[in-house]
Amino acid sequence: MFDGIVFASFSEFVQMGRYGFHVWSVYALFTIFIIANLLVPHLQRKQFIREQKSRALRDGQINGTASSSSAAPGESV
Amino acid sequence: MWLWFSKLGSPKWFYDLSGKWLPWLVAFMVVTMTVGLLWALLFVPEDYQQSFTNRIFYVHVPVASISLAVFPLMAIAGAITLVWKMKLADMVAKCAAPIGVWFTGVALATGAIWGEPMWGTWWVWDARLTSMLLQFFLLIGVVALRSAIESPDAAARACALLSIVGAINVPIIKYSVEWWNTLHQPSTPLTMDSNSANGPEIWVPLLIMIAAVYCFFVISLILSTRNEILQRERRSQWVMDIIASERV
Repeated sequence: MFDGIVFASFSEFVQMGRYGFHVWSVYALFTIFIIANLLVPHLQRKQFIREQKSRALRDGQINGTASSSSAAPGESV
Repeated sequence: MWLWFSKLGSPKWFYDLSGKWLPWLVAFMVVTMTVGLLWALLFVPEDYQQSFTNRIFYVHVPVASISLAVFPLMAIAGAITLVWKMKLADMVAKCAAPIGVWFTGVALATGAIWGEPMWGTWWVWDARLTSMLLQFFLLIGVVALRSAIESPDAAARACALLSIVGAINVPIIKYSVEWWNTLHQPSTPLTMDSNSANGPEIWVPLLIMIAAVYCFFVISLILSTRNEILQRERRSQWVMDIIASERV
């Protein structure tokens, strides 16, 4: 399987025949693009759930795990 | 058919179904992306004219071709919003626009990075590049229009109209390389002949990358659409149940 690799050494792979900068900056941009578009919605979801959870706790909509008395008094939105 | 259609329009139905699809889509994306990237970077032979800059195509071509799917998608969703006022269609359209900005921007940037050593310039005002830049600004326009209009219903209608108008640009981008004499090369036909300059050892990894990037597009669209559903339906009981049951 490794016979098909077109580079003889790792440094050849990094250099990409004079075009290392161009090739690797494209792949770096692609990596940022992929991670950003998966991570950002994931974090937004967590943030939203956290906000709604604390709001529901404050309004006494969720019973059980935390008593409504633990919510800070007078903090209403 | 109509039952299916009205079910599809229900945000909860979409939320539940997409939750079942997501693990499979992610698994498919991880496998195809890994195989595609390793194949493209390590195994594709050096091009006799372009040397190893041919590696750039395995990112540029999938991203650019999928960026062309965004406006048709938003136009169809917009038409559904205008005709049937389906909430889900507008949510998908809203989430597709910023993702489209990303796809078009990355396509332009990767193209420029390839153009610099190969054409000797980062940018030319040829028909393909110019129409692609127009798509970039149109998508930014859709995002800006959405945030500029306060009433959600009016914003949905305005964005739907702009998406339908903007979709006219897509065939112009697609056929620009044939209609005009552009510096950007036309798409190369696939051939099974492995002695040809673009035999299967060139295009099979490209097809794998296209599948991977398509899958990535669908995943990111689903993720942000699910967020939009939670946001808009936050007062309904099923969303409150999700919020209550989820650990953060």
